[in-house]
Amino acid sequence: MSASADKTYTIPVGPLHVALEEPMYFHIDLEGETVRDVDIRAGHVHRGVEYLTTKRSIYQDVVLTERICALCSNSHPETFVMACEQIAGLEIPERAAYLRVIAAEIKRIASHLFNLGILAHLTGYDTLFMHAMQVREIMQDVKETLFGNRMDIGAMCIGGVRYDLDAETTAYLTAALDKLTPEVDALAKTYRRNHTILRRSRGIGLLTKDQAIACAVVGPVARACGIEYDVRIAAPYAAYDRLRVAAPTLTDGDVWSRAMIRMTEIGVSIQLLRDCLRDLPEGPTRLPERPDIPAGRAMGKCEAPRGELVYFLKTSGADEPERVKWRVPSFPNWDALPFMLRGAKIADIAIIVNSIDPCVSCTER
Amino acid sequence: MTRLLEDIEARLAAAAPGGIDYSSTTSPHGAVTAWCGMANSEDLLSVGETLLRLGARLAMISALQPPAPEEEEEEEEPAEGEATAEKPAKEVPTTFGGTPIDGKSYEIDYHFVLGGDFLTVIAYLPAGGSISSLTPLFRSANWPEREIMENYSLVIRDHPNPRRLFLDPSIDAAALERLIPYSTLVNAASTKALWDKVLAAKGGAS
Repeated sequence: MSASADKTYTIPVGPLHVALEEPMYFHIDLEGETVRDVDIRAGHVHRGVEYLTTKRSIYQDVVLTERICALCSNSHPETFVMACEQIAGLEIPERAAYLRVIAAEIKRIASHLFNLGILAHLTGYDTLFMHAMQVREIMQDVKETLFGNRMDIGAMCIGGVRYDLDAETTAYLTAALDKLTPEVDALAKTYRRNHTILRRSRGIGLLTKDQAIACAVVGPVARACGIEYDVRIAAPYAAYDRLRVAAPTLTDGDVWSRAMIRMTEIGVSIQLLRDCLRDLPEGPTRLPERPDIPAGRAMGKCEAPRGELVYFLKTSGADEPERVKWRVPSFPNWDALPFMLRGAKIADIAIIVNSIDPCVSCTER
Repeated sequence: MTRLLEDIEARLAAAAPGGIDYSSTTSPHGAVTAWCGMANSEDLLSVGETLLRLGARLAMISALQPPAPEEEEEEEEPAEGEATAEKPAKEVPTTFGGTPIDGKSYEIDYHFVLGGDFLTVIAYLPAGGSISSLTPLFRSANWPEREIMENYSLVIRDHPNPRRLFLDPSIDAAALERLIPYSTLVNAASTKALWDKVLAAKGGAS
């Protein structure tokens, strides 16, 4: 800690810090206990995955992109294969479109519950943290049962999906949703009413709508500031144009609003899963042959748990793509942190950072 | 649901006096993906202003070095009497706007989202070229432009904070333009131990 003037200090937060899940370095200027300015320094988990994708075949990249990050692991290959299918002009089978929605929404519920749990942990309410993680365990079990894995579910392939539901797994998923619904309702009640949560999250880490538009933030961070943008509605993919997707918005732009957007979205996802199971058509789950990807360029985007995920793919007709570039939802959301942190108390830094649900592995690739 | 305007091509053409190469495709779900190559990369700020007024969001910037087309094998079938005819000098193909595709030139793609649709504005730059920063118009250009500057030897003019973003300052510039051995990349010690073991197992040859 260095005192540069009266009551003015500069402190480091990170890159390794008890309250941060992943390494990121915040250079924080303080006046007393109040944050005056923040400088974010990144790069601690930069692995050069973007370069690596051009050294692997397109089919290997479906596997590689799943390993960029754990929490939104399904969204990466999902968007990558969408870009491939666009170049090759492929239409996936109807059943595959629904199965893609099911995989994405299961991952979304687990991801949101994790973030809500960490919020409770950071407020010091560890009982609620453990409760949220226990509820999340229902979805972890679902993933293990349906896909054979708890994080990287390997559900996507070019031209469809790599898994299918039968009577047994459908019954398991339905039972899990029945078990999850009252648990989530009880959690939502706590997050809405509990004094500890409210005191540490309401009015904290404010982001105005104008600031949100300037920073180009996406996902729950944007929707908590009143920006009605959800890729599933604005540019439907898979089976979302045949499903009723609700995108809840709030206007306060504080930590609590961002948490409540995630809480409400869990309910939306549960409903989407039920609708998919009801409407799931019969038929193949993928195209019969592994398609060749010709030369071309395409853009893909999907609504990952943290917001809009964008992929750019340029191919030359060879097995290796010429360029793969992606922008994860956390990438623009980091830039909103200085606005949220200015004027905040030092004790709220970790809570505010967690409220953008940051993914460092995704951001730095 | 907002969609790309009917007259978006005319608006972009008006903003880019150097000329544009516009094309678009519509997915079966109705989502439009549009591409707009600019003949003159100096038109970027004017095109950016037009898009800002339309409420576009800058979602991502991609930079790449398109590889030079592979040389095709010459078919050696000299006709009689023409065996000594001079071969014409190979012409380097060029992009829209005349930037040579020689493996050293750059393409920068500015991916905008308008409503739910993509509009990608493409600037072509020769080796050693420079381009204006979009940060005066779009705050979200800041980090992507910093990342481009550390990955390529491209100059982005008037960037407010041209520091490294992810790579440490001790790493040589233009990381994506160089071949970096994996062991160097991960800062790993490289030993002959395994090789020596293989040789020993084979009977200590050499």
